[in-house]
Amino acid sequence: MTTLAWWLIRAQFLSRRTATALSMLAIALGVSLGYAIHLINDAALADFSRAMKSVQGEPDAIIVPRDSAGHVPLALIDEIAGDESVALVAPVIETRVRLGRVPTAVKLIGIDVFSAALLMPTLLPREGAATSGGIFDGGLYASPSLLDDQGLRVGAGATVIRGESRWETHIAGDLPAMAAGEALLVADIAWVQAHFGPREGVGELRVRLMPGSHAEAWRAVWAKRLPPGLDIRAAADNAARISNISRAYRVNLNVLAMVALLTGAFLVFATQLTAVAQRSTQFALLGVLGLPPRMRLLQVLFEGLAIGLPGSALGLLLGYGMAVGFTRVMGGDLGGGFFAASTPTIAPELLPGLGFFILGCGASLMGALYPAWLNRIQPLAQALKTGFAQRPPGQASPAIHGRRLMLLAVAAAIPLLISLPAIDDLPLAGYAAIALVLVLGIAAAPVATNLAFGAMARAALPAPLRIAVQNVLQAPLMAQVAASGLIVSFALTVSMVTMVASFRTALDQWLDAVLPAPHYMRSKGLPLPAELLAAIERPDAPFARIERMATGSLSLDPRRPPAALLVREIDRADPGARLPFTGAVQAAPEGRITVWVSEALQEVHGLRTGQALHLPLLGRDVEVHIGGVWRDYARQFGAVVMSTGDYRALGGRFEVTDLALWPRPGSEDAARRWLATEAARHGIESAESGDIRRISLSIFDKSFAVTYALEAAAMLIGLFGLAVTLAASVWLRARELATLSALGFDRAMLARAVVFEGALIALVGLALGLAAGIAVGAILTHVVNPQAFHWRMPLHVPWNQVLPIALATLAAGMLASRFAARQATRLPAAQVLAGAQ
Amino acid sequence: MLSIVGLSKRHPGALRPLFSELRFAIGTGEVVALVGESGVGKSTLLNCIAGLELADAGEIRVGPDALDMLRLDETARAALRATRIGFVFQAFHVLPTLTVAQNIAIPLLLSGVTPAEHPARIESLLLRVGLAGFGPRWPATLSGGELQRVAIARALVHRPALILADEPTGNLDPRTADEVLTVLLERVRDQHAGALIVTHSQHVAQCCDRILTLTPDGLE
Repeated sequence: MTTLAWWLIRAQFLSRRTATALSMLAIALGVSLGYAIHLINDAALADFSRAMKSVQGEPDAIIVPRDSAGHVPLALIDEIAGDESVALVAPVIETRVRLGRVPTAVKLIGIDVFSAALLMPTLLPREGAATSGGIFDGGLYASPSLLDDQGLRVGAGATVIRGESRWETHIAGDLPAMAAGEALLVADIAWVQAHFGPREGVGELRVRLMPGSHAEAWRAVWAKRLPPGLDIRAAADNAARISNISRAYRVNLNVLAMVALLTGAFLVFATQLTAVAQRSTQFALLGVLGLPPRMRLLQVLFEGLAIGLPGSALGLLLGYGMAVGFTRVMGGDLGGGFFAASTPTIAPELLPGLGFFILGCGASLMGALYPAWLNRIQPLAQALKTGFAQRPPGQASPAIHGRRLMLLAVAAAIPLLISLPAIDDLPLAGYAAIALVLVLGIAAAPVATNLAFGAMARAALPAPLRIAVQNVLQAPLMAQVAASGLIVSFALTVSMVTMVASFRTALDQWLDAVLPAPHYMRSKGLPLPAELLAAIERPDAPFARIERMATGSLSLDPRRPPAALLVREIDRADPGARLPFTGAVQAAPEGRITVWVSEALQEVHGLRTGQALHLPLLGRDVEVHIGGVWRDYARQFGAVVMSTGDYRALGGRFEVTDLALWPRPGSEDAARRWLATEAARHGIESAESGDIRRISLSIFDKSFAVTYALEAAAMLIGLFGLAVTLAASVWLRARELATLSALGFDRAMLARAVVFEGALIALVGLALGLAAGIAVGAILTHVVNPQAFHWRMPLHVPWNQVLPIALATLAAGMLASRFAARQATRLPAAQVLAGAQ
Repeated sequence: MLSIVGLSKRHPGALRPLFSELRFAIGTGEVVALVGESGVGKSTLLNCIAGLELADAGEIRVGPDALDMLRLDETARAALRATRIGFVFQAFHVLPTLTVAQNIAIPLLLSGVTPAEHPARIESLLLRVGLAGFGPRWPATLSGGELQRVAIARALVHRPALILADEPTGNLDPRTADEVLTVLLERVRDQHAGALIVTHSQHVAQCCDRILTLTPDGLE
């Protein structure tokens, strides 16, 4: 039996090389995308964890301030050190500085060398041979990567700058245990504190407990005892947090990979269905000769598997290659901004690889399942005589009213699903609604065909068009399959184009609102040099207006990444002049600290305008009033804006990190020159608003480039499905066409009938695909994006893109029909009518 | 080799049965022609005997162990066809994607004959149907007469008890039809099988040992 199965598989592949190869490639594409995403993300997470572990060590608890201006008080360090369960405490101050005029910010870690030796041995410094004085004398120790990247030399002098603070010191040695790729400086904690603060405490406290202590219980006890401005965490929390925040993004990418895999399954379906149809006589003969019904089913499944096995294996190879290539070009970031600095090493993984391999084979088997079942139930005697039965006895399609009821039920479930919240931050119900929209589109095809062409069938039509209309109205299996392929592929294309266009239009409008000044300057989160801030206010500086901003961070939920704190020179009475609010703005009440929160923060924490909110600010818990919610596409994890007046009133130090600058009228060129000179002098960034807009949109376009490739692949697969199924349909109707030929249809008329048929099927497919695509686009825009990424935007259907794609698809569909028509006119009518096969 | 008792069949929705209470038998080495007007049910009777359609009542016993086709499930009927019955069709039905030898090997594979026996059996049959050396050739390179000889070889290769042939010479010119018929009858008798040949040809019918005529009133 296996010999026969192998003969048939080989014969099938040899006679349908193109279709088989394309099906394999489609499966390979889906597997490779999924596997590559997994490998890149896994390697990036491992890389991140490794790097964090090397800096952080493996403490049992980490005590950190909840906002960037907070600190761990010295008194608390003593208290914790005195706890009998504590074996060791390691205070740390971590800050970002610049070395001289080098524009890149560098991490500087201040350590207590004795505790670090036990808890964070990779941070231990090594004295340089030619240097005098060690870590206690104020020497800096650079990681090997930093020495290489910035051309630093052990023994050389170094100027460490942060805002107004400046520290003249020297590179006293290196950090031999630090892994490659980690660029950082280490110094004694007392020196770092003396130059950059905080004066009254440390930035972080790492705790090692006595052997046998229960770390989780200890953390729980101390979580209740800590002052409100502090959090206590386990060492693994940071890695888990990074994994969690990138999860929605990964799931979204994996859904795209699964869509690619499903299109592969559709291609296997179309290929196997036509293969079964065209070999129905052969299968019937084998059945008559004694091939058991189970084997007729299994044979088609084997053939599906024979596509899936090499397709999946190729997919794994391609996926590994893609992951390696991608990380070499783009680093470990998948475009989501979570691991932007990481360049991990990709290694093939056996178990996930096996999982994706099984998934690829499963998709292929799924595609072959219905054709296999149809093959199993073909009536042998009839199939041997008249070929493939598109509707075998007892398998009549459901009555039209039954179909309508089913459509209504599916349609009713969609609003229900999109009203459901995200599950564990994943828009699972939204994805299910998308699947139902596609099912609805496919199931509506016969009803839509009747509505569209029912009246046409009663009108006086030229003979070829009448034949085409009649055939489409009867909705044979092949016509349904061809239409389904187009519906799904066009719907996916329209939805992607709509989602991307909606996002891009919203981003464009948002950039208008958030970039009111012609020029901007920033220092990547570091305070701007005091010298620059003084220079910019001198009367000879060519600026009419300057707005300053300081950035920091605060944590509302330790399981999530911190939100940005933006302290701005903003008019409390008119914040709408600077922030793009999404709804009503409440006037700031006198005497109360007012903040304006970003949409992401509102969604994650369920905030609303007018409510009171407790924020960790300056190391304490502060009650603030929410004055409004504004749209922010730049900070996915949320942002809080506060006026400089309020921040100062709380006792905060306003350390300017960003500047918005308006040149004096007529001084635009002078302002440009001034900014270029100062930016170079201080090693900071300066850009015009037009450049920021152009770069932002270019980054957006690049990150969505992969969707265009998927759209093109989906459309090609849909068109290929149309061509294959139409060709099979013509083959199955050989006798009908031969009869028409005998009755006087010439070749041109036969060809026109088949091309009309293809065009009518394509029209139905495109119309339903368009409707389903806009619906899916709306779900992506209004449900999936807000739930997964907290981005909201108005729906914008780009008709200038959708209509040309539809027309091009219609034209391509008619071309595909020409291919089928050519086959139809080549059939030897006399031979077909004689029944010889 | 074949025993039919009380066989009846009515198509769903038909007013009267296509045939009822049919009774006949075919012995070892006996070749029987089944004739009758179009639509009288000859092909349906053949399908019922092969287990491709189910009769409403009666018994169809095939082969030396006389298994009743009507009492078997679909898989068992397929197994019975694979081991006890050979088929020859008007339209040849030789698989175009397999070589001549592979086509003939199909019943051997389905009936579980050990692979070591295949080459000898195939070569021997090809020799006896006048196609020696044709094993590696593709069906597309063969004439109609040659294709039907391949079909005959395929029908006999697993040494079935019964051959069912539906218009085996219907697609052939008279001279080729004569040659093919001679080969078929000789080989059936060689192998001591029984055969039921559905035909419209008087000449074919005359060459058989016995003629059964199916009419709306039954067998004559």
